[in-house]
Amino acid sequence: MKQTERTKDIDLTPLLNPKSVAVIGASRDPDKVGHVILQNYIDAGYSGKLFPVNNKTDTILGLRTYKSILDIKEKVDLAVIALPAPIVPQILEECGKAGVKSAVVVSGGFAEVGNVDLQNRIVEIAKKYRIAMLGPNCLGVMDPRTRIDTLFLPTYKLNRPKVGGVSFVSQSGAVGSTILDLISKEGFGLAKFISYGNAAYIDEVDILNYLMKDKDTKVIVMYIEGINRGKEFIEVAKKVTKIKPIIVIKAGATEMGAAAAHSHTAALAGNHEVYEAAFRQFGFSIAKDLSELLYYAKIFDSENLPEGNRVAIITNGGGTGVLTTDAVYESGLTLTQLSDETKNELKKYMPPIVNIRLPLDLAGDADKERFEKAVDIVSKDPNVDMLIVITLFQTPGADSSVAAALIHKKENMEKPMIVISPGGDYTQMQKIMMESGGLPVYDSPMAATKSLYELYRYAQYKKNA
Amino acid sequence: MGLVDYMEAARLLNKYGINTIESKYVKSAAEAVKFAGNEQIVMKVLSEKALHKTKAGVVKLGLSGEKQITDAFNELYRKAAELKPYSIIVQKMAKPGNEIIIGGREDPQFGKIIMIGIGGIYVEAFKDVAIRICPIKRYDANEMLNQLKSKQIVTQNGKATEMVVNLLLKVDKLLTENSISELDLNPVIVRESDYSVVDIRMLK
Repeated sequence: MKQTERTKDIDLTPLLNPKSVAVIGASRDPDKVGHVILQNYIDAGYSGKLFPVNNKTDTILGLRTYKSILDIKEKVDLAVIALPAPIVPQILEECGKAGVKSAVVVSGGFAEVGNVDLQNRIVEIAKKYRIAMLGPNCLGVMDPRTRIDTLFLPTYKLNRPKVGGVSFVSQSGAVGSTILDLISKEGFGLAKFISYGNAAYIDEVDILNYLMKDKDTKVIVMYIEGINRGKEFIEVAKKVTKIKPIIVIKAGATEMGAAAAHSHTAALAGNHEVYEAAFRQFGFSIAKDLSELLYYAKIFDSENLPEGNRVAIITNGGGTGVLTTDAVYESGLTLTQLSDETKNELKKYMPPIVNIRLPLDLAGDADKERFEKAVDIVSKDPNVDMLIVITLFQTPGADSSVAAALIHKKENMEKPMIVISPGGDYTQMQKIMMESGGLPVYDSPMAATKSLYELYRYAQYKKNA
Repeated sequence: MGLVDYMEAARLLNKYGINTIESKYVKSAAEAVKFAGNEQIVMKVLSEKALHKTKAGVVKLGLSGEKQITDAFNELYRKAAELKPYSIIVQKMAKPGNEIIIGGREDPQFGKIIMIGIGGIYVEAFKDVAIRICPIKRYDANEMLNQLKSKQIVTQNGKATEMVVNLLLKVDKLLTENSISELDLNPVIVRESDYSVVDIRMLK
């Protein structure tokens, strides 16, 4: 869908912070989408007014049901439409007449299956009545603060993330819901979730404009297949990345135009390459898969930006320290040199078995005190921009007291500090504890160093671009 | 979309301060010999039907002396018969250096884009290129070079880096200010302190 004529950006506030919501197509049948959506609103504890609309029944889930949106005498900020595509234009028209401010069209059956005219009709109606319309063919929105949840996926199947600073924007509903489910297991929480489907009216540009100003959003994560308005997207993206980071995952590495290319440049700089170039140029972090996306989101959510790329490694396992040193260099970071002052301080407190050089190997019997002292001294070194602490919980000295001490050290630290803790059930327990204490934990050296590098790269972009 | 005449494209590049190798269309072997003087030259057939000149066997490198140049002209003249319309161009042989590609095109989504990478016959094999949306800033140009795996081939020292960055900024201006749909400068021969654009393919 090309949108060439856009007079102004659409405000998403009524979508994400509505005082009242109508669910059109609400149903008594628990298998119907319209039922799940209503149920989710009730489960989420939405505190605004809720109006089920269904012309065949009087009550659903104990709520009075309206025959039509026009029968609701109060103002409706958001209408969630879950009805078959052919009747959506009529329903949206009624919403317009009723003065509804925004709508989520959950229904599929529009441009994605070739029904372009039907989609164009609903866009015309949205424009005419100035309805901020999301979709069609989308999951809609979720905001754990305002307890808005238009997803038609039951909460027992898809866990909802906790409240946090990461906003997640997804063109695809399938990818969107998978990632939401994955985020729910992470240490970080969600600010806003927006699944925008066919992007017939509200698109990436409007969404970025909104999230740029949204105070709850600290980090933006986007799943993109294509962009409606490339040039406008660049303009807004430039502004956003000067304020907050955007992590993007782009699907569809198609070779559009490559066959018809007349030059090397056209063959080499295809559609996908140009998208990547644009993202890179304007300060995005590009995630290659879902796990990278989560790693990056985690680090951007919890860490300050580093001054430089010099890393210090503190470990209670020699081998893992060496592996991490390799990963540091492979990712584009460097291992720092400790200052003489730092070395002298360390000598005072570390037992003789500890070699005073990086990676600083605290030895297998390192306990809470040794970790605490090492982190304390090393983090104060002006040569250190970022700190990696490797805690192998399989060792005799490392237990929850180490995890707690690291959380405590982290509280007063300006510099980025992350933990690498590969391991099984016992380690996972410590990981959950540290992550809920705001300390990002990684299972592998490479995942950790790649994430730190993205943090560093973004810091450089903000400073220099 | 049409191919811009080579000499016209070269003049446009020169207008933006981009150095192109000295070139001339020739109609006879004698003209080519005169152009060469006592230097080495390159002789090529330019034709829409031979887009990849090396593969089509219509490029002759390192020619010097009346006999060699005349023989080359006669051979290319014969081969070109099936490539009409065509022209035969002679160029001064570029001093040795590393081959890079700089290009650009109009992207339907984002507008003009610019690209740099390792060039010549290695372009397709390595696909080591950096792309940006025009217009670019000096920071972007530097970042493009940093992004290349072949950075040390593309620019051998700090001075060459600055030269290539400046060249990128000039090509960026050329792309931004003109309605060019596709552009290949391939190869651009980069040496320690100077460079020359050896082949141009511009479509408007």
